[in-house]
Amino acid sequence: MIALFILIPLIVLAALGAIWKARPVHAALLLALSLSLVAVLYLLLGADFLGLIQFSVYVGAVAVLIVFSLLITRPSDETKEIARRPQSILAGLICAVPVLAVLVYSVSYSIGSDEVSESSPSQFELAELGKSLFTTYAPAVMAVAVMLTAVMIGAALFARDFNQRES
Amino acid sequence: MTPLALLLTLSCVLFTLGLFAVLTRRNAILILVGVELMLNAANINFIAFWRYGQAGVEDPNMIGPMFVLFSIAIAAAEAAVGLAIILMVFRHTRSTDLNRLDSLHG
Repeated sequence: MIALFILIPLIVLAALGAIWKARPVHAALLLALSLSLVAVLYLLLGADFLGLIQFSVYVGAVAVLIVFSLLITRPSDETKEIARRPQSILAGLICAVPVLAVLVYSVSYSIGSDEVSESSPSQFELAELGKSLFTTYAPAVMAVAVMLTAVMIGAALFARDFNQRES
Repeated sequence: MTPLALLLTLSCVLFTLGLFAVLTRRNAILILVGVELMLNAANINFIAFWRYGQAGVEDPNMIGPMFVLFSIAIAAAEAAVGLAIILMVFRHTRSTDLNRLDSLHG
């Protein structure tokens, strides 16, 4: 519980940095920090396997992919982004703050009123997870496999430079 | 404050931060950063409800972690396709600034 109180502000701070930093590479690295702190949160909550998956997939693949595409596109318009900021920040706040208010209100309305019993926190059993993954959820696994294949082909097709073929 | 309420509040805050990033950023890649934050907020909800939500209900299939597992796989695929599209747009316009993509502007 104390660890939660330490970890949660760190996650929020890292996410704040990720959305606030004007320099894109800093934003991407702070996103990686925030995602790895969420992985620590999963470990803390007892979902060990998911924490490791979160770390390897999000930090190892997605964040690295984002950093690499920042390297390729080399965004140089930091100054323009800063100059445009006041209006966009105002518009963003007008849209985001009501959403936050509604979400927090609904959470406090449904949770805060009555006591949620914490008698039996669930245990994470990797063997059970694997068993049900390939029995109960086998169709979903196959669908994800087909989707990943399609994504791989599609991403390779998109990322290919068609102009290079002529030379 | 129960741990469940704490985690749900964290998820709300993360979702709103991601939404704010999506609304205010101009760079398409940084918008994708916001989308990743929002997806993570949803995953935290699943884990929180799996860990604390069910009062003594047996859950042999572990539905919460299973959802997160599939969600992570789909989020990775989404990031790959999104970045590939952004790279394709970059090759056309030499920029990832979304304000430049106004050729359909009336």
